[in-house]
Amino acid sequence: MSHKNIPLPERQRLRQKMYKKHNLANILTHWFNVFSWLLLLSTGIAIISSPRLGISPLWMQEAFRNIFGGDANLIRFHYTIGFIWIFVILFNVLVGFRKYFVPFAAKRLLLDRDDIEWMKTKPLQMMGFMKDKELPPQDAYNAGQKIYSYFVVLCTFGIMVTGPVMVFKSLFPPIVKQIAQPIHFVCVFTIVAWLFIHVYMGAVFPEEKEAFFSMFSGKVSAWYARAHHEKWYNEKLKEEMEWEDKIEQEVLQSQHPKEESSGAD
Amino acid sequence: MPQKNHYAFVIDVARCIDCRACLVACSVENNVPMDHTRIWVHDQGIQGNWPYLSHAFVPYNCMHCEHPPCTEVCVSGATYKDKVNGLVLVDQEACIGCGYCVAACPYGVRYIDQKRGVVDKCNACLQRLEVDLEPACVATCVGKSRLFGDLNDPTSEVSIALRNAKSVTNLDYENGETDTDPNIYYLNLPETESILSSDPFGQVAQTSLPRDPHYTIAEQGWKNVAIPLMAAAMGATFLVQAIFFTKQLLEGEKEFDE
Repeated sequence: MSHKNIPLPERQRLRQKMYKKHNLANILTHWFNVFSWLLLLSTGIAIISSPRLGISPLWMQEAFRNIFGGDANLIRFHYTIGFIWIFVILFNVLVGFRKYFVPFAAKRLLLDRDDIEWMKTKPLQMMGFMKDKELPPQDAYNAGQKIYSYFVVLCTFGIMVTGPVMVFKSLFPPIVKQIAQPIHFVCVFTIVAWLFIHVYMGAVFPEEKEAFFSMFSGKVSAWYARAHHEKWYNEKLKEEMEWEDKIEQEVLQSQHPKEESSGAD
Repeated sequence: MPQKNHYAFVIDVARCIDCRACLVACSVENNVPMDHTRIWVHDQGIQGNWPYLSHAFVPYNCMHCEHPPCTEVCVSGATYKDKVNGLVLVDQEACIGCGYCVAACPYGVRYIDQKRGVVDKCNACLQRLEVDLEPACVATCVGKSRLFGDLNDPTSEVSIALRNAKSVTNLDYENGETDTDPNIYYLNLPETESILSSDPFGQVAQTSLPRDPHYTIAEQGWKNVAIPLMAAAMGATFLVQAIFFTKQLLEGEKEFDE
């Protein structure tokens, strides 16, 4: 469905019509996650002060140790925020586990044939080839976002497991604590690597502007949905029409409650 | 602020009779668990050829090196060389007891206290130094084998003992960039070669201190694999993002772009 040959009034209607994409819980969790990551990433990098690994500059190590009052307090702050983060994320997942999480994972996150096709085409288009080829229609999340989500879920899980291993230090043998540290590091920086793309696409890239605002309002325009998430848009359209049909029928029934049986004959 | 003190142990091997009072004093003073010691006395066994025999006991504890390899591997800086008194210390509230440093110490002076999940080692009884007392092992040494003091102070016991010493051995470890410069000075320590060549009763608990610092697989993997990999990944994604951002800036914003 090309969106180029649409008459003007229809375009205007599509731009004004809004569909709800994110619920409030998701929006709040997202920004809570952003805020936690800013605190955790900065303190976490500052903690790693081994000159052999050479990850954080000396001024950063010293600045953070001075702000928080020494090494132990810096670490304490890091894992306290970390535990709050784990609690909130897990709480949200568990509370909505059957109603939101399972359907979401099953319906929205699995790759289908169009996604595979998208993944073959999109990188080539980004490099400047096959510009005129039409991208296959995408669901509420496109294939790139799905792949990103796999990494995020896996790495978040990795962080949530390896972090407490290092905090509850007397419960685990040294070898486990030795391995937990690089795993924690790899999980964090895998997500950070993707974050460059995520932040750019979400907040700066012009075509995805609406995605950014939808992370506050929860809503995207029908125009945007149609252009970027066509399958989801059609789904929404279908839901909307079914809902309209239902309302129409209810109205009919309330207006002519007795006529219906005779009308059916 | 430059390092104020240069604390050092001077241990006269000829004066040690292996009474192990220092071990007891250390354990009591520092609440060391029963199955570990922060310090130990190495029995070199009977050496030499008849009738020129000798039997030496070598007391050990942390060397408080000038350039300790153990602090280099500590991820969080929980173990560090103190900037003021120059002692190698462990902040056990920050330490998670992973044992990177235990493997890296060329003298094997560190151990993991599994019950608390932290690394423990000699801290030269810092709590006693702060109130102008000698470390417990030094204070209790009956034969005056162990001496402790500040080498920056020429009138200290250790400075005088070192000036008057006939033979001083320093178990330095030097290999490539690692140069420990330990701060235990042994007086009258017999040559190590002679220990290994003659062991008639097989009772020499062989020590080959200092040994090579060992780096754990996890730490090496982190340094040599994980960091380059992550740097490459982040470099790649940052580059992609930067290219598109630059393109976007060059093209300028269009009001009706869709």
